[in-house]
Amino acid sequence: MTLTIDGIFKQFGQFPALAGVSLEARDGEFLSLLGPSGSGKTTLLRVLAGLDKPDHGCVFLDGVDFLALSARERRIGLVFQQYALFRHMTVAKNIAFGLEVRPRRSRPSAAAIKARVEELLALTQIEGLGGRYPAQLSGGQRQRVAVARALAVEPRLLLLDEPFGALDAKVRKELRGELRRIHDATGVTTILVTHDQEEAMDLADRVVLMNQGRIEQIGSPAELDQTPASPFVFTFLGETNRLNCEVLSGYARFDGFAAPVVTPARPADGKAEALFRPEDTRLDGGAHAEGLPVRIVEIHGRGSLRLIECQALSGHRLTAELPETLAAQFEVGQRVRLAARRVVLASGAGETVAGDPVKLVAAKGPAATSAI
Amino acid sequence: MIARSHQLQRVDGPIPILLLTVALAWLALIIGAPLVTVLTEALSKGLETFLATYKEPDALAAIRLTLIVAAIAVPLNCAFGLAAAWSIAKFDFQGKALLLTIIDLPLSMSPVVSGLVWVLLFGARGWFGHDLDVAGIKIIFALPGIVLGTIIVTVPLIARELIPLMTEQGVDEELAATSLGAGGWTVFRRVTLPNIRWALLHGVLLCNARAMGEFGAVSVLSGHIRGMTETLPLHVESLYNDYDFVGAFAAATLLAGLAVVTLVAKTVLEQLIRAASTQKPA
Amino acid sequence: MTHILTHLQPSRRGVLAAAARGSALIAAPSLLGGVAQAASPLTLLNVSYDPTRELYKDINAAFGGYWKSKTGQAVTINQSHSGSGASARAVIDGLQADVVTLALAGDIDEIALRAKLLPANWQSRLPNNSTPYTSTVVFLTHKGNPWKIHDWGDLLKPGISVITSNPKTSGGGRWAYLAAYAYGLSKGGDAAARDYITRLYQTVPVLDTGARGSTTTFAKRGLGDVLLCWENEAYLTIGEFGPNFQIVYPSRSIYAEPPVAVVDKNVDRHKTRALAEAYLNFLYTPVAQDIIGKHHFRPILPAAKAKYASGFKQIPMVTVNDTFGGWTKASKIHFADGGLFDKLYKPS
Repeated sequence: MTLTIDGIFKQFGQFPALAGVSLEARDGEFLSLLGPSGSGKTTLLRVLAGLDKPDHGCVFLDGVDFLALSARERRIGLVFQQYALFRHMTVAKNIAFGLEVRPRRSRPSAAAIKARVEELLALTQIEGLGGRYPAQLSGGQRQRVAVARALAVEPRLLLLDEPFGALDAKVRKELRGELRRIHDATGVTTILVTHDQEEAMDLADRVVLMNQGRIEQIGSPAELDQTPASPFVFTFLGETNRLNCEVLSGYARFDGFAAPVVTPARPADGKAEALFRPEDTRLDGGAHAEGLPVRIVEIHGRGSLRLIECQALSGHRLTAELPETLAAQFEVGQRVRLAARRVVLASGAGETVAGDPVKLVAAKGPAATSAI
Repeated sequence: MIARSHQLQRVDGPIPILLLTVALAWLALIIGAPLVTVLTEALSKGLETFLATYKEPDALAAIRLTLIVAAIAVPLNCAFGLAAAWSIAKFDFQGKALLLTIIDLPLSMSPVVSGLVWVLLFGARGWFGHDLDVAGIKIIFALPGIVLGTIIVTVPLIARELIPLMTEQGVDEELAATSLGAGGWTVFRRVTLPNIRWALLHGVLLCNARAMGEFGAVSVLSGHIRGMTETLPLHVESLYNDYDFVGAFAAATLLAGLAVVTLVAKTVLEQLIRAASTQKPA
Repeated sequence: MTHILTHLQPSRRGVLAAAARGSALIAAPSLLGGVAQAASPLTLLNVSYDPTRELYKDINAAFGGYWKSKTGQAVTINQSHSGSGASARAVIDGLQADVVTLALAGDIDEIALRAKLLPANWQSRLPNNSTPYTSTVVFLTHKGNPWKIHDWGDLLKPGISVITSNPKTSGGGRWAYLAAYAYGLSKGGDAAARDYITRLYQTVPVLDTGARGSTTTFAKRGLGDVLLCWENEAYLTIGEFGPNFQIVYPSRSIYAEPPVAVVDKNVDRHKTRALAEAYLNFLYTPVAQDIIGKHHFRPILPAAKAKYASGFKQIPMVTVNDTFGGWTKASKIHFADGGLFDKLYKPS
């Protein structure tokens, strides 16, 4: 089932929720719609599910006009953050629902429905829970039921709206793997809406990163990582250091070092702001090392990794992420040299940064790097 | 709406016991004592006289009229309550707050006013009085008027019961059912209705009790024609004014009995709602 | 619309039978109401005031027998009782009364004036100003008259509380007010009368909306020391509550005339004029006059008068026409909104 979304616009009052969204999902592909809240990803999902009508644009599934079909006729599987299980029905009844409400002609026999339910219980690894009520299940079990229920009708498209949002971290990780396994087993074209970049990057064949009603970039997790299409993509996907630079012939020149510019592909020469990841940041304590002179102000641990907070003479704070083994040589108060392996340009010679990247980064966790 | 016992403290110490005693004494005084009075008055001239009240054609007519009024008003309010609660809980629209206020209006309005509104509209001298007269349609001082008066007074009871519950439950289950291919009616019957059935019954029960017991609005609209437009509460008043105290209290016993039955049914239902809200299998 | 429903029996339960069968017809509930009158040619609705409940129960039974023997038809008289003013109001609002038997001419005047359901000269159509029985206002005290209340002046003794009904809504209340006012007039003109009324109504703890309500307040609930009430109501109370009470006739009172009238527009619509007129004329027959006397209303036929004379003490009585210039004037001056009663009544 190939899904083609072409030029979707959707406005709520004065607020443009979708401002021209086009994309294609290949048959059997797993897509993640990723973006901050208000980026339009949920609206796009609701348009696909038939819960909202776009103002403009079209959606085709294998060449059939999808928007002309009612939500009921689309045969999509929907999985909600809050599960939305039918609370007065058993697990088995929940899963069987989509089959039992079919018109008599196309309804499978009771035995066939029962077999299908068993098959789905096994697929989602909740065998033996068929007789329970939703209230008697854990959150993770409920979401497995929700997925099984959605798959029962053999949907042409499986839509998941923040399916792990209500679960604790451990269950979330576990279910993430399950979901991918189930997807691979069924081959159903799947679209996952999430604001969690780790989840999106982990699960999807391709990630659709959205911002302010537009698509910023579509690509494999590696593509997004390696060649971010915009500063927004870069800042949204991870912690970011910022530093002013001078661009010359595809290289960003700093006070004491230079680094290749990854995005944009052909940067114009001139002054710019460079963005780079803590993990792309090197520290060197050697007397003749190249780099920006900084002083280490803080070191904190994170598993086998260490985050080393540094302060430049200008007062800028920058973060380096090093393996524990490498980090051992540094200590707080030490003067070292800092350099970036590669950078993305935020503004000036490159493109301007959309939105407020500082805020977006800060929203992603306490370890976010402050800037400027 | 329903307190869960495990969240409450145990009754312990002098102040809770005092409060509990005051509450129970108050209940005994304002509910228990009148009930006992009604029964003793009704039986003051023996069981024969008591039973004779129910053989009176006027009493039978009043009982029948009361049942008919409830049989019309309750289903109509049920349909309205469902529609209103559904639209308020599941949709966003302009004027939602206004609709909520209007639904609540009869609760804060004297039933006499609720009755007079219809007189103003449909009375012989009312806005539509002349047209109705020409068409030969009688509303005021006839069954339709009594039903209208009853409906306006009882309109909030079912809607009020459903709105908070349906709002809390949200639309996700309905959306899920729709996406699974269920039609509107199927969604209502198999998803929405089972989720609200106990609250709905609870509302119907309250609505029915109020419909059968309503005095003020019905009094304005009835015309007090014996054996024709007197409901049971009005009949009680008539008998009382006739100095037929035994008759009045015997008829009132029926109403009190209705109240007791309602109370018991309500308690049972609330147990069921509690069970349903903790989502244990029924 | 009527023809659809002609299979319904023209019984007094017609409306209920129709409703029972038609309760599925919720979409058009108004149909049901339309049936009530049209399908019941042999019923009559008598809209009356509170204290006549017992009287008309007996009168209706007697008339039923009379009509049956005369025409062979069974007839059902339906009754509606409220305060006289409230009853008049209901008829104005559309209560389908064939006849009205109210507490005072002023209320029937209102029906003629506001709803034009009968001509303004209605009172001249039946004998004795369309008044088949009269009454007056008396005092009802507790047994033995512990407070020695003998006349209007005694009502103002310190500590006495008086029960009467609201003259704005109750016919009996109006008669009591006018009787009291007339007493005041006899003591020194309008000024004295206003003063008397002011002080009298200050002693009233509960002003019920109807005469029957006042009686219940006094006799059943035991409030107050003296009840100002209809003479027939006083006798009825003694009949119901036994010897706990006694009637006191003041030195003077008012000649109360509760009139009756056919409501022309309604009987023409219901085709019940002959029956309605026969019903009211029946009130003037010896049989009815005897029932009237038995229920402590004052009959007007000499035979009945003589038979029940012992029950009705003869005292000087003023009339509304002579002392107050008729009901139209009296209503306007005393009982209209902002009228004298509103000005003088200051609940303590």
